[in-house]
Amino acid sequence: MGGLKDTLKDAVRQMSFRTSIDSLKKKGVQKVNVLGMDRIIALVEAAVHKSLRSRLVGMEREVVAESTKAEFVRLLRSNEDLQRQKSEIEDQKERAQDEIDQLRRELATQQQELKIRLDQGALAVANRYDGENARIAHQVSEVMRSLAATGDLALEDAETRVVELVMNIVNGEREEAESARAALRDREVDVLQRRISKLNESLSQTEHKLQAVAAMKNIDEGISSIYRQVQGIDTKDVQAGKKRELMAEIFKANLKLQKRDSAS
Amino acid sequence: MTDTPEQAQTPDKDHGVLYIGMDLGTSRTSVSASNGLRETVYSVVGYPKDLVSKKLLKKDVLFGTEAIEKRLSLKMYKPLEKGVLKYTGDAEHDAEAKENLKAAQDLIGEAIRVAQPRKDELVYCVIGCPAEASFKNREAIIEAARSHVDSVMLCSEPFAVAYGLDWLEDVLVIDIGAGTTDLCRMHGTMPEEADQVTFDVAGDSVDAELDRLIEQHCPGAQRTVQMVKEIKERYGFVGDASERANVELPVNGKPSMFDLTDVIQQACSVLIDPIVAGIQELVATFDPEFQQKLKNRVLLAGGGSLLKGLDSAIEVAMKERLGGGKVIRIEEPIYGGANGALKIAHDMPADYWEQLK
Repeated sequence: MGGLKDTLKDAVRQMSFRTSIDSLKKKGVQKVNVLGMDRIIALVEAAVHKSLRSRLVGMEREVVAESTKAEFVRLLRSNEDLQRQKSEIEDQKERAQDEIDQLRRELATQQQELKIRLDQGALAVANRYDGENARIAHQVSEVMRSLAATGDLALEDAETRVVELVMNIVNGEREEAESARAALRDREVDVLQRRISKLNESLSQTEHKLQAVAAMKNIDEGISSIYRQVQGIDTKDVQAGKKRELMAEIFKANLKLQKRDSAS
Repeated sequence: MTDTPEQAQTPDKDHGVLYIGMDLGTSRTSVSASNGLRETVYSVVGYPKDLVSKKLLKKDVLFGTEAIEKRLSLKMYKPLEKGVLKYTGDAEHDAEAKENLKAAQDLIGEAIRVAQPRKDELVYCVIGCPAEASFKNREAIIEAARSHVDSVMLCSEPFAVAYGLDWLEDVLVIDIGAGTTDLCRMHGTMPEEADQVTFDVAGDSVDAELDRLIEQHCPGAQRTVQMVKEIKERYGFVGDASERANVELPVNGKPSMFDLTDVIQQACSVLIDPIVAGIQELVATFDPEFQQKLKNRVLLAGGGSLLKGLDSAIEVAMKERLGGGKVIRIEEPIYGGANGALKIAHDMPADYWEQLK
């Protein structure tokens, strides 16, 4: 009995809301009627007993009253269990969400890093070529000047020949160097791409987990039916006999329909 | 390897029994459940047209009002026509029939979902379908429902209305839906074919007539079928007007006010003649000793019965043709069928449900 009272008290507390005297005053409330917890519980018990007294007698009433109280306590506990499960699922969802956010941030950082590396590579190549070209031109010019000093050879022909010669050599060197550098860069890109791929996979798995958690959360606990067992026609119903015949006819028609359906 | 939610959530169904009564209608699907919930969904299903709309809507399927609002991004289905599933058993429309059946399955699933069943409760459902639905159609409805409930039964809609009110003898039920109007006389046993009359002058016919009259009397007034339906539901009446139906409709993009009182009255009146003819047919073929009682116990149900003054207008017409009669509009016309189906589900013995699992 004490258990029921405590549970009722808890239930009333859970369903009530707190407010301050100041906020009541602001709403223009001057006086309030106070109803104690014990009084509320006494009223509920009195109402239940009065209702039962009008329908049941003696022992039967006591049994029904006790089983009703037990069912009430059971429902409240079931509700508490559901609340706890719900909050656990919500925690799981939050954790998964955090994990996804973290993975997304990491993925964005890696992609940014890859882009910077690629941009830097392209810029470095351009700068290096500019420097080399200037140096080669300078060297050719030096050679030409020395050729001119010798006298007999036409200057333009000599310059063309020398430049062609030098550029062929330089181009060959460049191709080799470039392929070496490209191989190095490709390795870096490959590493970064593999890391991104792993992160993507991890992100996808976490998102899948989140969906599963969300789906679990969406499996709303629903609202309980007022019936714990299958009912049937009330034997006290004045039309019970007629209704029984009607139910039998509806069932027969459905049995015929559904057996035919499953056979086909 | 991760568990799917389905694998992870297969609770024992030991918590209780949820009964659901469903009125699967052309326009609306209503459910009443033994957990106290009652809901109505427009019988419209929409699937995103492409990946872009799917991403935008964040859903694989939309129903009812939400689907109507987002219809431009959706492939829309109205799975029922004239009270039955479209194209059922029609070899020429095999592809459409399959898509339609899928939409019907999803709609029934949504109707069950809005009843908020617990996963650990048995769900037993009775679905009201039109009195004259074919075998093929009944099979299709059963197939559509089976994946969502533990056991399901069908019953005639007008019968469910009468059963829900405990009026099992000498009563004539008129169920005005969107696609069909069903009349059924009850005489203490299951109604047979001769006890039922069905015709397709119903809510949709009123909409079509109202649309035609607006076209005729309000030149340039732009509207959709949905807008016409909403006008009917807001102002629909027969007999004397209690208020003027001043409705704003766009003309070349500019909102313009039209007084539709007369056209609404005219359009809604198309229901009266066929209904009274149906009543006359069922009364005239009934046992003469009980004809008077039957005339005085006419129940009006279904969404179409919400038209103001319809009960009185039918009584006036019955006086002229049948010498009198009493028409009673049920308290909750939208939920009459669903409430009755729920009561049938409640009264059905346990072993019947078990055998149909």
